[in-house]
Amino acid sequence: MKNLSIRNLSKTYFDPYAGTNVTAVHDVSLDVQQGEFVSIVGPSGCGKTTILNMIAGFIPYTGGEILLDGRPVNGPGPDRGVVFQSFALFPWKTVLENVAFGPKMRGVHKAQREKIVHEYLSLAKLTEAAERYPVELSGGMQQRVGVVRALANEPDVLLMDEPFASVDAQTRMTLQEELTRIWEEKRPTVIFITHDVAEAVFLANRVVALSKGRVLEEIAVNLPRPRVWDDLNEDNQFKALTGRVLQLVRSA
Amino acid sequence: MRLTARWPSIASLAPFIPVIAAWWIVTELQIFPRAFLPGPMEVVRSFGSLVYTGILPEYLQDSMVRLAVGAFWGIALGIPLGILVGLSRRAQTALWPLLLFFQTIGDIAWLPILVIWFGYGLITMTTVIVYTVIFPVVLNTVLGVRSIPIVMHRAALSLGASRTRMLWEVVLPGALPNIVTGLRNGLGYGWRALIATEIIVGTSGIGFLMFDARRAGSVVEIMLGMIILGILWYIVDSWILAPIERATGQRWGLVTR
Repeated sequence: MKNLSIRNLSKTYFDPYAGTNVTAVHDVSLDVQQGEFVSIVGPSGCGKTTILNMIAGFIPYTGGEILLDGRPVNGPGPDRGVVFQSFALFPWKTVLENVAFGPKMRGVHKAQREKIVHEYLSLAKLTEAAERYPVELSGGMQQRVGVVRALANEPDVLLMDEPFASVDAQTRMTLQEELTRIWEEKRPTVIFITHDVAEAVFLANRVVALSKGRVLEEIAVNLPRPRVWDDLNEDNQFKALTGRVLQLVRSA
Repeated sequence: MRLTARWPSIASLAPFIPVIAAWWIVTELQIFPRAFLPGPMEVVRSFGSLVYTGILPEYLQDSMVRLAVGAFWGIALGIPLGILVGLSRRAQTALWPLLLFFQTIGDIAWLPILVIWFGYGLITMTTVIVYTVIFPVVLNTVLGVRSIPIVMHRAALSLGASRTRMLWEVVLPGALPNIVTGLRNGLGYGWRALIATEIIVGTSGIGFLMFDARRAGSVVEIMLGMIILGILWYIVDSWILAPIERATGQRWGLVTR
């Protein structure tokens, strides 16, 4: 079992303008089991993206530890796939080349690589767009590429940093439904960062409410799957859960 | 409009028609003596005879070879240097002041000392051109490397790219639009430096042709040389640089058309 274990994680940095030390993340502990979908939800500035960047290895942490499969995380690596808010697709590569990038970097053989890439392209309904460049795609399509590019590398954990924040509301709902569908099929371990409470609950098995760099509470989400918005919009359990989480993050 | 849409080259030739017409009228009216300002037809005739005697093709080839050799080394040295300075703080600290200092010493300011060191030959001319091409290439490459968003680096690293692969897969293509701009500037300056160098130290080439014509008092050959310079640059730009831009930065949406 490849578990992600975060122990007393802290991040303090020096703010040169204020002239003081600022604590962005304070004593955060979290365990994520293999195959779990965990949402971290909180308002802007609560430290959720900082936590994700530390797990990804993009920025160093100043206290505590992050263990993946028992080994401490040190710098970025292909065991942790990342989906970015700004998509971060390579503009000079076609959709196919973007998705093939991870396997290519890890030295997966060409035949095997093509098999993987085509499987994931069709999973995200991107087969038609394979030869196009990112600039030719809509925002929603670009982020589909972003998701399968990370998944095609078969990471131990998939880290998603507000991936649907910059697409329109209708597209966002479609992408959320597609993500749950893909998750059910592939069962990757996911940590999903968002400020959108309904999104957090809709997607996850467990929601972590965060405020001012601290974990407020963890809430289990046992809604049946597959989840679609048409069912959940009127679902009382869903409403109760979102209400509860909203109350938590707003009152803090 | 429809005509220019079908043949884009007509659109780029059309602006020259009134210029040539005005030139032709001025010479036909004999406002200036013919020896001072020959007409278009005389330039065309001069072109014909210089091609026939083989002088023009030979000189043209000499100039182009010098530019090509100089540009090759300027690019081969400039791009790696620019990437190094763009990626490494330490390289920047060590090299940036030097780059700015030597950039300020203009290309042909090197001619006196180069002539003493290497004489009137290809080495002197190539050195001047390399010197001219390298700075715009380096400075624009640095700019290009720096303009790659940090998420591109992060995405590549978390997909498993090594530092070496990063260079080929992210840094070089990401900086390419700026590198092409550097090339355009560099070749433009290099072309001018070449002509200046040929005028001063040359024994062949288009610059030499023009300066030699002055000695013989042949305005028609001087004008021919000037026109050839313009046409050649136009060819380099529209046949080499513009297609590269269309196939890279513009295609990828990194540069607006």
